Amino acid sequence: MKRFTALLIALLLLLSMALIGCGVKDNKTDEPTGQSDTKQEETKKEDKKEEAKEETPATNDQVTNDPDVKVINLWSFTDEVPKMLDKFKELNPDFPYEIKTTIIATTDGAYQPALDAALASGGADAPDIFTAEAAFVLKYTQGDASPYAAAYKDLGIDVDNLLKEAEIAQYTVDIGTNPDGNLVGLGYQATGGAFIYRRSIAKDVWGTDDPAVIKDKVGPGWDKFFAAAAELRAKGYGIISGDGDLWHAVENSSDKGWIVDGKLNIDPKREEFLDLSKKLKDNDYHNDTQDWQDAWFADMKDAGAKKVFGFFGPAWLINYVMAENSGGSAPGEGTYGDWAVCEPPVGFFWGGTWVLANKDTRVPAAVGEILEWITLDSSETGLQYYWANGTLNGPGGTKDTVASGAVMSKSDGTLDFLGYQNMFEAFVPAGEFANGKNLTQYDESINIFWRDQVREYTAGNKSREQTLADFKQQVADNLDVIVE
Amino acid sequence: MRHKGVNYAKYGYIFCIPFILAFLFFSFYPIVYTTVIGFTDLKGMGRTDFTFLENPFQNFITILNNGSFRQSLKNTIIIWITNFIPQILLALLLTAWFTNNRHKIKGQGLFKVLFYMPNIITAATIAILFYSLFGYPKGPINDLFITMGIIDEPVYFLINKATARGVVSFIQFWMWYGHTMIILISGVLGINPEIFEASDIDGANNIQTFFYVTLPNLRTILLYTLITSLIGGLNMYDIPKLFLLGGPDNATLTTSVFIYNQAFSGSYMYNRAAAASMIMFVIIAILSGIIFFIMRDKDVVQLKKQKRKLKKELKNAENMVRRAVE
Amino acid sequence: MNKKKRASYYIWKIIKYITCIFLAILTILPFWIMLVNATRSTYEIQQNSISLLPSKYFMNNLQILLGKSFNPLKGFINSMIISGGATACTVYFSSLTAYALVAYDWKLRQSFFTLILAVMMIPAQVTSIGFYQFMYRIGMTNSFLPLILPAIAAPITVFFMRQYLISTLSLDIVNSARIDGAGEFHIFNRIIIPIMKPAIATQAIFAFVASWNNLFLPLILLTDKDKYTMPIMVSLLRGDIYKTEFGSVYLGLSLTVLPLFVVYFLLSKYIIAGVALGGVKE
Repeated sequence: MKRFTALLIALLLLLSMALIGCGVKDNKTDEPTGQSDTKQEETKKEDKKEEAKEETPATNDQVTNDPDVKVINLWSFTDEVPKMLDKFKELNPDFPYEIKTTIIATTDGAYQPALDAALASGGADAPDIFTAEAAFVLKYTQGDASPYAAAYKDLGIDVDNLLKEAEIAQYTVDIGTNPDGNLVGLGYQATGGAFIYRRSIAKDVWGTDDPAVIKDKVGPGWDKFFAAAAELRAKGYGIISGDGDLWHAVENSSDKGWIVDGKLNIDPKREEFLDLSKKLKDNDYHNDTQDWQDAWFADMKDAGAKKVFGFFGPAWLINYVMAENSGGSAPGEGTYGDWAVCEPPVGFFWGGTWVLANKDTRVPAAVGEILEWITLDSSETGLQYYWANGTLNGPGGTKDTVASGAVMSKSDGTLDFLGYQNMFEAFVPAGEFANGKNLTQYDESINIFWRDQVREYTAGNKSREQTLADFKQQVADNLDVIVE
Repeated sequence: MRHKGVNYAKYGYIFCIPFILAFLFFSFYPIVYTTVIGFTDLKGMGRTDFTFLENPFQNFITILNNGSFRQSLKNTIIIWITNFIPQILLALLLTAWFTNNRHKIKGQGLFKVLFYMPNIITAATIAILFYSLFGYPKGPINDLFITMGIIDEPVYFLINKATARGVVSFIQFWMWYGHTMIILISGVLGINPEIFEASDIDGANNIQTFFYVTLPNLRTILLYTLITSLIGGLNMYDIPKLFLLGGPDNATLTTSVFIYNQAFSGSYMYNRAAAASMIMFVIIAILSGIIFFIMRDKDVVQLKKQKRKLKKELKNAENMVRRAVE
Repeated sequence: MNKKKRASYYIWKIIKYITCIFLAILTILPFWIMLVNATRSTYEIQQNSISLLPSKYFMNNLQILLGKSFNPLKGFINSMIISGGATACTVYFSSLTAYALVAYDWKLRQSFFTLILAVMMIPAQVTSIGFYQFMYRIGMTNSFLPLILPAIAAPITVFFMRQYLISTLSLDIVNSARIDGAGEFHIFNRIIIPIMKPAIATQAIFAFVASWNNLFLPLILLTDKDKYTMPIMVSLLRGDIYKTEFGSVYLGLSLTVLPLFVVYFLLSKYIIAGVALGGVKE
């Protein structure tokens, strides 16, 4: 034992030497970062220059690129934005930068830690452009990581005029505006949600499939929604597939987010979700599925226990998820073509990708050019026009709603999947109902806890009080949030 | 006659240098670093500077009072025990069968190769597969049970805490019994064959041989298995994280998943995560110590004591002689 | 009496075979499902996630897989470099350390062995936070080295190798080689390594599998697309937020397992033969 302690002490000594060694190494590695620091200072100086010039309307010329930099680093969690940049390069063959993409999936929770570390450590490999999903975008626009986000106007983008010209939905702007009031991130999609329902079931129950009529059957408000659920149930239908469908509508129609002044806040509308969910389950109004699981997909093609009337969702849910899972690819096959969209009982939005820039980027003008093309260019060669009409990779692609109202009004949202209804009719107003002021940076984690606890409650495993207490406990245990 | 005084002992040191260097650089330094963080206020993204807390043990107190941490500790131990006991029993049984030279099993080579195979697939694949197996309201297990008439309507298996833990335990068991078996077989092969021959001559049957000859001689290898499995089991991460994210209602939240969540999901509380890590290290060290103590070879300990005593006596004698000479 | 014994012998035999065959099926089934699903369309998989019969969408899945910035060849090469390097480091240096512990009588030998036992107890998760931050500070991200070099210090493998050497090494061979004038290092490389082949093969399988399947560390350390390993690429496939192409995910998963199969079956004769491990602790 004595020898062991002696050895341990020897090791500790060695270690302290190793530490000193590392310290020396650190100094060495500091040198290059020191260089980049000076470069950062240079860019800061440039920033100051810009500020001085700000009185005159900003244009691209005033923001200069570092001529030594030949690469733009892009970080994203899907290949959507990287593919857009391929198109951008195709449209601008003279664009002198190579795009280096890093894609890390959000699935295993790895994207944020890696992105945060890359932003914090800076240097030549630091991201110039990065993307964030609705579930965690607040962290980068208003939360802990917001100091890293560059204001659009500092990238040479004429924000105020372009926002008006493109008619960008207000909630995306709200989410993308940092605490100083500067716009730092914008999305390309509009993810305002609608209620997507089955025409044949509507005809069976109410004798019509007209969106204008159905809209008044399922809403506004949850009371009418549940009245409709009872009518549907009497005929053997479920109104929705699982409580997850309802959640996105509830989450986003609440007045306040999960955190107010650093404290956990359970908005009454979100707390009500417990009762709504329980009511759905107890009255057998749904198939008790979980979103993104096999059974949920199965309900899109009538393969569940009972036929399901509708889903809550934005345009991307229709094109990317429901059409794929309808059991067909042309009207008449599976449930394809038997759907329609109408206004939901409460306004909401779900998902979306925001595009941000690193404030330390050494090529701000080039980055600004790309960001403007993706988020604010409402012309027919802007990204959003291709995106809305499904022509990014040639004709016949997937149509989607986009953030720019100007683009939407000159695009055609007619889908054979919806029985040739123009989906933009329902989705353009939907964007206005959406509220971007009740998000918080911890939403992703807190939502997981909340949904888990609600499932426990609806399964009858615990009382309502216990459910709320356990939820608060989990938030307090796992996050740096004050819980009272 | 000494061979130019070649001192071979120095090679013992030289050959260990790579190990020691790699250990110091890649393990020891991070451990010390982690320990230090545990006493500081290091939290929040992108921070590298920190100050020590006024009450240096604040993070440790917070963690020990943290309901989720306690729950995760309980889960980890339950899951480890429920998978380790059947795992070691099955591995021992298979070892007894596969090392029995009197009654050889046909194709045992193939069986050995197959039993280790579950260890090859990545945890991600296994998590996806099992998740779809227990799907609700539609899923193969539900379909099967309904057709067999065991249940009338689909059961949400994975919302039930006991079932969820049971499935995680089963996956761990299934992934590791083959690995344990291979190690145990190696241990049996290392036992001097003469011992078996002797027990054969004494007329011991298979069961007697196993309990009175094989098992006692396997002690070191069993110890090795026990310790490695304890460490692996208390650090269980992949399956609980990928399978159910620690749910339902924290039922499969293990300490490693808890530590990961503290450090990387949401609040970046590196200090709390580091404190939790150190607490886990202490727990593992204590448990390992207990296992070492229980499994220690009493004869060897005795022998060591005698050796020491002899050495002391020798020294005393030497001293006495020296004094006498002076 | 004899008959009774014989009857119980047969019953035992049947029990043995039933158990073994049952366990074998339990092993093969998930692999089979994975391979079959690699040939099925996403739609079929969602309808019925498990099927024993292959379908005809293999080429389709392959196209989706290749279309998704998925470069299996590159991932394969990267994984091969990391896992091959880590495995080589683990088995070679662990053998060297174990040999030092068995063949030489040095003063700190016993303490060093106790230290290795103590190191074995340190859980990897404990060090991951410190390790991650450390690697960032010295700029070792996007390098394969932090994934290969730590494998040099593998205490569990050292322990295994030591037990093996104790039961197989005879110092006479070493001594006669010394008389022939061979250097110590030469003796280790030319004489000891061949003796240790079965133990090295077994540990090589363990080390290779562990390194190949490691997802967490590569995921946070390697951010450059050109450096991704196979498991990272597959995890990306699942990360598409709108829909998961299950068919191509299973195909990707199958592709990651295939190289492991090759390595495993090449070395499996050592698993079949078994490796003798000495039971001596001191």
